[in-house]
Amino acid sequence: MSTTAPAAIRAGTSADAILGVVPKEVFSPSTVEEAGAILEDKARASAHVGFVGGGTTLSLGRPPARLDAILRTDRLTRIVEHAPSDQIVVVEAGLTLASLQRAVAAHGQRLALDPPLAERRTIGGLVATNGFGARRTRYGSLRDLIIGVSLVRADGALAKGGGKVVKNVAGFDLPKMMVGSLGTLGLIATATFRLHPLPEVDVTLVARKKTARDVRSLVRAMRGAQLEPAAVAAFSAERDLDLGIRFEGFHEGVKEQVDRTLALAAKNGAACDALDEASASAFWARHDTARTAGPLRAKVAMLPSAFEEFFERFLPTLHAAFSETAFVTYPTLGISFFSGVPSDAGAAAAAIASARELLAPGGGSLVLEEAPAGVRSHTDPWGPPPASFALMRELKDRLDPGGRLNPGRFVGGL
Amino acid sequence: MAELVGPRNCISNPSDLRTYECDGLTSFRVTPSLVVLPASTKEVVAVVKLARANGLALVARGAGTGLSGGALPVPGCVVVALTRMKRILEVDLENGFLRVQPGVANLDVSKHLGPEGCYYAPDPSSQSVCTIGGNVSENSGGAHCLKYGFTSNHVLGARVVLADGTVVDLGGPALDAPGYDLIGVLVGSEGMLGIVTEVVLRMLRKPQATRTFFATFPSTDEAGNAVSSIIASGVVPAAIEMMDRLAMQAAIAATGVDWPDVGASLLMDVDGPLAEVEHTSRHSVELARQAGAIEIRIPKDENERALMWKGRKSAFAAVGRISPNYIVQDGVIPRSTIAEVLHEIAELSQRAGLRVANVFHAGDGNLHPLVLYDARVPGQEKAAEELGGAILRLCLRLGGSITGEHGVGAEKVAYMGEMFGDADLETMHRVRCAFDPERQLNPGKVFPTPRLCGDRPGPYVPHPTELSGQATRG
Repeated sequence: MSTTAPAAIRAGTSADAILGVVPKEVFSPSTVEEAGAILEDKARASAHVGFVGGGTTLSLGRPPARLDAILRTDRLTRIVEHAPSDQIVVVEAGLTLASLQRAVAAHGQRLALDPPLAERRTIGGLVATNGFGARRTRYGSLRDLIIGVSLVRADGALAKGGGKVVKNVAGFDLPKMMVGSLGTLGLIATATFRLHPLPEVDVTLVARKKTARDVRSLVRAMRGAQLEPAAVAAFSAERDLDLGIRFEGFHEGVKEQVDRTLALAAKNGAACDALDEASASAFWARHDTARTAGPLRAKVAMLPSAFEEFFERFLPTLHAAFSETAFVTYPTLGISFFSGVPSDAGAAAAAIASARELLAPGGGSLVLEEAPAGVRSHTDPWGPPPASFALMRELKDRLDPGGRLNPGRFVGGL
Repeated sequence: MAELVGPRNCISNPSDLRTYECDGLTSFRVTPSLVVLPASTKEVVAVVKLARANGLALVARGAGTGLSGGALPVPGCVVVALTRMKRILEVDLENGFLRVQPGVANLDVSKHLGPEGCYYAPDPSSQSVCTIGGNVSENSGGAHCLKYGFTSNHVLGARVVLADGTVVDLGGPALDAPGYDLIGVLVGSEGMLGIVTEVVLRMLRKPQATRTFFATFPSTDEAGNAVSSIIASGVVPAAIEMMDRLAMQAAIAATGVDWPDVGASLLMDVDGPLAEVEHTSRHSVELARQAGAIEIRIPKDENERALMWKGRKSAFAAVGRISPNYIVQDGVIPRSTIAEVLHEIAELSQRAGLRVANVFHAGDGNLHPLVLYDARVPGQEKAAEELGGAILRLCLRLGGSITGEHGVGAEKVAYMGEMFGDADLETMHRVRCAFDPERQLNPGKVFPTPRLCGDRPGPYVPHPTELSGQATRG
């Protein structure tokens, strides 16, 4: 019987809720065309629609202003095309990152993107939320890896931008436009990426119990020494930081970079150890946990040079307002994440406000990825809208004139 | 306008205006009504507001080295030449960015950073003159973007004057500001979304080592196979460039470079930490030999290396030595189809009775077929254009693109409808309307069919009867 159903439809339940808002209906189209037909139908009904992939990041943003239907991508899981010799892959939005990685690994390749929860996170969700992990240090973020996108617009039309070749400047860059747009401009239906070769070897070094200043000076010294780590990440161990440095590539090259880094670190008073495979996995698993645990999580961005002062000044506030705190930072990117259990909603909101005050003069930002309702009622998860907000509003209005896609969830209520 | 920018920076004399009638695509020419050369964001704002009040189209322009007619004036327009705005405003070494005005030449950025051991990665062949503003507009590439990416991967932010004279900062040196990636949308929008008056660029630390080799092959088949096997081995070359016999002959004629007369050649760079580079260059040389290389030359010093690259980078202009006229194409193909495509191009070339020299960025499949012709021979120009078009269609048939780095501009608008469907183009048009609803900025580029923007659609507001459940829309 199910083969005759164009798309699985069911009534929404509390399990489908996005930040407490329960949809009336839930659709699971099995093709992109079906997704188009559903959105066309919803446009006729002026229905407000949200999109759900793996459901790992639904707490990002404000609650939807209205939610008539959810379109799930759980049946859009095809690898449309993988051309190993061209190092590209085209996939549907509902495919998990881990499934994609397994498929391309069979050809010695990978998508150079390593966010936590790869088994659950879908490509569409990652694009919509600009998900990333520690390898962003070397390979850039999703915007640097995506080369094509197809989307279903609010009116149900299927549109594409970019292409299947790495180098392409024909037309406006719709792929980048969709990165981080949180389902407010259209349904991300398929995405095309450039792939990288899997490295021959992968070694992680750790320097334990370092101050923010030690981290900064070692990172600076590495840059000066023209070392090219694949990932640099530090996370908090009480008041100090454990710094992880990952090198990847061909055996000879990695060995030489590891040796030079060990010498450099010792000279800088930040002695490192090279981890064996099991310890390295444990180290990066700890990183992933710190990125995903805790009832309140925030992403903080600033200039890399601002981190040391921010960390010193914010840490006491953080410890006062939260228990079980964790802090992850990517020193070369200037991006950090912290998490914790708020003791009091008002105090937590005040801590966030003070962090935003510290960040604002340098053009930094703080976005809440997860927060209890009590904290949400005191603070906007996105913080103040950016200077270019009027233009963002125009873009949203042009692409979704009825304001029906994930309404109210994004920056400034877009 | 003369009051706004000063009389010396406002050109209206017909003979001086002709300097601005085309960019590097000289076969398309339109004389503008006026050229202004503002010196600041404030002056650009004033110019934009005055033009808008008078319903005049604006075409922004840098050095005019573009090859797709992206800076082609439209009749009656005002050209805004940003070449006077060429200051480097800020260099932040620790945070790895610098802030520049749009008229700064691409190579001057790297020269400025050189003493600090840093550089700006995108390196279009015209880099000694082309400007950062033009690079932002066209999302310029270059030989080394295989490993390092294009302009869009190296622009962190920009100050932009919108069509209504509003000044807005998009992006910035701190990453991941909340909201849409408008700087991502802006780069490569071919001057149709705003006029850039400041740009925040990412700088890179120079790699520890670079190894270069030049390999010759009996034909493009072996050279193409060498590229495929090097890339399949997991090496990410910094650049890997191919030239066919005709292109090499032109480069030899123009620069006197000491190259043999063979079917094809590759010029490859690998860069990075020393031990890694030693390994990958040795390995790549071995793979090139296995693929059938006749000879492999490794430059013994930086001087020799520079000569090799000079030969390659001068190839476009060098073709002028062997043909009175030529068209440069910029199609992209999936890398694995190189050998096949070159055979098809050779067939198309034979059928048209015109020579085609091939110079291209082989690592990313970005072809630059140079279609040679003689404009004095009746019908040859048209035949050359048709041959160029046939090559672009071949790229599209194989899943590629009509332009890898030159932009659509005025030249390739007719092919946009073959690469993209109506809904695709209409979606891009909506983006344009969000930025420039009057379509006054660089009209006539990118989009094949002129479209209106329509009324600004407001957000949907439900009627009270809908909210109370008494009425529905459908």
